[in-house]
Amino acid sequence: MKCDSCQEKATVFYTQVTDGKLKKFVLCESCAQKKGITSVDGLLMGGDLLGSSPPQTQIPDLIADLNQEDCSACGFTLEDFRKVGRLGCPECYQVFSREIMGRLPSMHKGGVHKGYLPEGLAKKQALESELAGLATKLASAIEEERFEDAAIIRDEISEIEKSGKGVVGS
Amino acid sequence: MMRFTTLLKHPADWMTGHGAETSVVLTSRVRLARNLAKAPFPGWARKKERQAVRSSLQGKLEGIPGMKDGFSHELCDLEPLQKQVLVERHLISREQAARSEGSGSVVNRKQTLSLMINEEDHLRIQAIRPSLQLKEAFKLAHTIDQSLEKVVDFAIDPTLGYLTACPTNLGTGMRASSMLHLPGLVLSDQIGQVLKGINKLGLAVRGLYGEGTESLGNLYQISNQSTLGESEEEILDRLTKVIGDVALYELQARKRLMIEDPVMVRDRIGRAAGNLSYAHIITSKEALNHLSMLRLGADLQLLPADLVETCDRLFMETQPAHLQWRAGRKLEPEARDILRAQMIREQLQSSLPPAIDITGKEN
Repeated sequence: MKCDSCQEKATVFYTQVTDGKLKKFVLCESCAQKKGITSVDGLLMGGDLLGSSPPQTQIPDLIADLNQEDCSACGFTLEDFRKVGRLGCPECYQVFSREIMGRLPSMHKGGVHKGYLPEGLAKKQALESELAGLATKLASAIEEERFEDAAIIRDEISEIEKSGKGVVGS
Repeated sequence: MMRFTTLLKHPADWMTGHGAETSVVLTSRVRLARNLAKAPFPGWARKKERQAVRSSLQGKLEGIPGMKDGFSHELCDLEPLQKQVLVERHLISREQAARSEGSGSVVNRKQTLSLMINEEDHLRIQAIRPSLQLKEAFKLAHTIDQSLEKVVDFAIDPTLGYLTACPTNLGTGMRASSMLHLPGLVLSDQIGQVLKGINKLGLAVRGLYGEGTESLGNLYQISNQSTLGESEEEILDRLTKVIGDVALYELQARKRLMIEDPVMVRDRIGRAAGNLSYAHIITSKEALNHLSMLRLGADLQLLPADLVETCDRLFMETQPAHLQWRAGRKLEPEARDILRAQMIREQLQSSLPPAIDITGKEN
């Protein structure tokens, strides 16, 4: 399908229903950008293109959907997931993370795994969370100009990184 | 390798409930969902990819200590009737029975562990124990999981835990459930209230064969819904506590019924015994409901205690696929109902001698 404005391949599809009247736009990415369909503000101001503003709450989702890529590992699409509620492969969890994260609160007690992990992974995770904690401390030490503390924390971090080699990032 | 006929001849300890307190909680099951890191999930994979996963996993599973010399088959090698028998025994799921290409089943000799290949996930490790023993069941499944992770690269995310085909199983990948016999709560009309309470606690209640099945024979499955955000131990503790409470309510309901309305209870049990002893045509639904009353009678010591085990065996053996397997051929529903009635009459004769002989000479 070709763009409504130029002859490029259309990748942005927009459908709007106002007072029962259906309006459809197909645009290529650069024309969509020119018309402002890349951000919430752009869409809201795009009166000349859309006639009137669609309901605000749907816009961020709509844009994210337009930008959503298929899973490069297995070819699964967001539409597939919405249809069947299941994913194509482990990689899909990265690709469709936004959509999945939105659904987790209605399914589970929490969003972070607290259960068993194989030994190597558990160690790696413990080290990573320790490093993350130290990085926060370091940032606030610098912020508050406690440079001596900062130096100590920095040394601690490099110590852990050295000892954790082969575990962290492996 | 264990043959299908051998598997069927020897019931598992959790089927007979030997040496366990099973008056309310019959069995406890735990299953762990696991997936290979670099393969599409079974529902999305191509036939070739599924077959590759199956052949790579099946050999590894057979080699785990504790699984040796068990039952191991690709599901498309089994007849539909055999698959149905495995479903009735809870050794494979209904969903898996419907997927045959590239799907496999490995069961240990004791039938306490059942590994399902290419069900909804690449692997489901299931352990079953009699009575309320969710933690023991988890330990069994966990041991298999730990042996496997040495030879298989599982899909794990440090934040989301084990990655599963359906996000409802994320995290621990663990679904733990117990099968409860709740005739007291049903007869005293308290069951609705109890089920509502269980749902409010974030736990699920289902019928005999899991999701979307109706409750037959006053049997209910209670399981966790959430798999992410709590450790296995926290989930199992909460579930064990709630199931223990429900079991207590059931026992209290039975006691109260025997004080407040003993005639009604005796009438229900007596009618069930009568129907089962004299019926010549009986559907599996009717059989399950009467057997439930008979089991209650034995638990309340109104009938001989050994009837509990007979009832549990009949719960399993009078189901459609088991019946047809025993008959050695496919049977129409009416023929099954006749065979079922005959089997039940014969089995009950030693415990409940018929007062009148109406068996007829042709039998």
